[in-house]
Amino acid sequence: MEAIWLYQFRLIVIGDSTVGKSCLIRRFTEGRFAQVSDPTVGVDFFSRLVEIEPGKRIKLQIWDTAGQERFRSITRAYYRNSVGGLLLFDITNRRSFQNVHEWLEETKVHVQPYQIVFVLVGHKCDLDTQRQVTRHEAEKLAAAYGMKYIETSARDAINVEKAFTDLTRDIYELVKRGDITIQEGWEGVKSGFVPNVVHSSEEVVKSERRCLC
Amino acid sequence: MSDEDDIETPVLTEATSILEDGNCEPAKNPESVDQSAKPESKSEPVASTRKRPESKPSSDLETSEVLPVQASQAAGKETVSKDVPQSGWGYWGSWGKSLLSSASATVATVGQGISNVIEKAETSLGIPSPSEISTEVQYATGETHAKENETSSPMTGPFGVFSTISTAVQSTGKSVISGGLDALEFIGKKTMDVIAEGDPGFKRTKGLMNRSSTLSQVLREAKEKEELWTSNEVTMETDKKTHYGLLFDEFQGLSHLEALEMLSRESEIKVKSILNSLSGEELETLKQELEQLKEAFSLAEFCEEEEEEKKGDEDFTKEITELFSQLNVSSKPEKLARARNTAYEWIRTSLSKPLEEKEEGEKQLEAEKTAHINKNSIEDIHAFAIRSLAELTAYSIELFHKTAALVLHGRKQEVTAVERSRTLSQMTVMLCKELSSLSKEFTTCLTTAGVKEKADVLNPLITAVFLEASNSASYIQDAFQLLLPVLEISLIENRTELPEA
Repeated sequence: MEAIWLYQFRLIVIGDSTVGKSCLIRRFTEGRFAQVSDPTVGVDFFSRLVEIEPGKRIKLQIWDTAGQERFRSITRAYYRNSVGGLLLFDITNRRSFQNVHEWLEETKVHVQPYQIVFVLVGHKCDLDTQRQVTRHEAEKLAAAYGMKYIETSARDAINVEKAFTDLTRDIYELVKRGDITIQEGWEGVKSGFVPNVVHSSEEVVKSERRCLC
Repeated sequence: MSDEDDIETPVLTEATSILEDGNCEPAKNPESVDQSAKPESKSEPVASTRKRPESKPSSDLETSEVLPVQASQAAGKETVSKDVPQSGWGYWGSWGKSLLSSASATVATVGQGISNVIEKAETSLGIPSPSEISTEVQYATGETHAKENETSSPMTGPFGVFSTISTAVQSTGKSVISGGLDALEFIGKKTMDVIAEGDPGFKRTKGLMNRSSTLSQVLREAKEKEELWTSNEVTMETDKKTHYGLLFDEFQGLSHLEALEMLSRESEIKVKSILNSLSGEELETLKQELEQLKEAFSLAEFCEEEEEEKKGDEDFTKEITELFSQLNVSSKPEKLARARNTAYEWIRTSLSKPLEEKEEGEKQLEAEKTAHINKNSIEDIHAFAIRSLAELTAYSIELFHKTAALVLHGRKQEVTAVERSRTLSQMTVMLCKELSSLSKEFTTCLTTAGVKEKADVLNPLITAVFLEASNSASYIQDAFQLLLPVLEISLIENRTELPEA
């Protein structure tokens, strides 16, 4: 059931080129791993419903941004209307980890006056043998910026659900507490349509009825 | 407001007044017009059609100053209410004209009001078969032309906007109306020509476009209304499947459209500031070059291929891929081609021969399949048709968005902006034709599956498919127009040979 959700959150996914942003999102929204993937052009869009509590669904609109520098002027425009973000790096690519700081600086400039709740994601954790970034140092960096850290793999479907739902829950708590509020002219959080009938949770699984595209 | 017996009079009156005073303020369909419709025309919305958002009311407008779309909507209502006592197809022509008028102006208002017209029309009239529609359209076209030849001024045309458009097109010397076009191509072509031509008709349409909300806004509002409605009517599981707006959003059409609008807007601002910074000869040369671009955006190719050629799956895939490679952007149309071919595959299965005609040996194998096919009720076909249209439209707009991003931020270009514009306009034509033939296939499915259905059950579904196909074509064409500023800035940047980053 598409129309019934409590809130809609807009999440942005950023990070260096080829760290696996699109693959992570497609695993989450389409439930499969895309072996070959062209570089993202500008920005791409995905959505999925997440049930955070029985009967309480959040619609996630996920903005997949191009990692390539040449599209930066396009992707920058999307920070402002995001409530949450996944900052990805590739655990087998040290450079992408070193750039995390720059990504955070960049968002800080463009998200004003709003804030984005970020989670740091160490991606491609199935390739542990080629690891160039230790879990410890990634956790340290995340803590320094007040972020959570999680390691994921789109190929092996490790922690993909958890990365998105944990972030969604954290944002939901902030919204419930009133730390994040729905604002006119800001698209980060939107109120959904509250149904006048209580629904069973079986309608939720949207990914099952998505076409194979 | 005139309430004469001649059903065309209201159209004439209203349309004329718009044209004469040239007022470009949005106006709500005035109450007085509504009152002229009979009470019974307030029928419940047909599940298959959706309400589009009304435009914002403007406080200080007179009754006569209504938008062309609303004028024709009002006209449609009146036509219908007056047609109620009469049955049969005698008045289909009039209804068709109202629809055409509305559809021609979709650029401005995305077809708002057409649904209303159709809801009412179909409750009292029923809808003819696809072939009847095209015949009627051709008939209407001929008639309009005849009328226009009699009268020199476009204001006096009998069908309001519609005739104005024809005149506008004629005045530029482009012959666009000829036989063999079906309703959808016809509508699409009209819309396109009006947008594209640099004549009074164009300016008026452009004016409408500027002061009304953007395309994505209108679509978003429509979608939100649908969401609201469906959430209140949760018991009706099937209804959701036929909401074009919701489906279009599900395929991320809205997001891509918004993104495209953003790029278009940014480019437009840049172009304007560059033009403002130039003067004299420099300015004139640039203006001339930009004019070439605009010409390429005029979709003249619409008239080239009148012949109905049915494309195979490979043909479509090949053609769209070729066009894309000509663009020299790295984006690929695979998603679109796949969705299109899936739709055709479904249709083929749906139309495949019944069990009796199969050979004995195949029977067993086919039994399961046929059982499934037989379950394709007209509602199923309708739902799938709407879904496919929404999907193809969303993917088309996604392609345009990607193209814009790549034109602006892609690598060095070996293709000129004008060449790209021509290819894009070819692509737009092709996509619209594709939607047209797809909708015809779907309605064939509907008529085949629904032979035993009553007309008042079947016809609204057929109408809905045609309506959404026509809307889809409008959306694609509007999205195409959003690319113009993008290509303009690309032309300017290449031309100035500035050391671009």
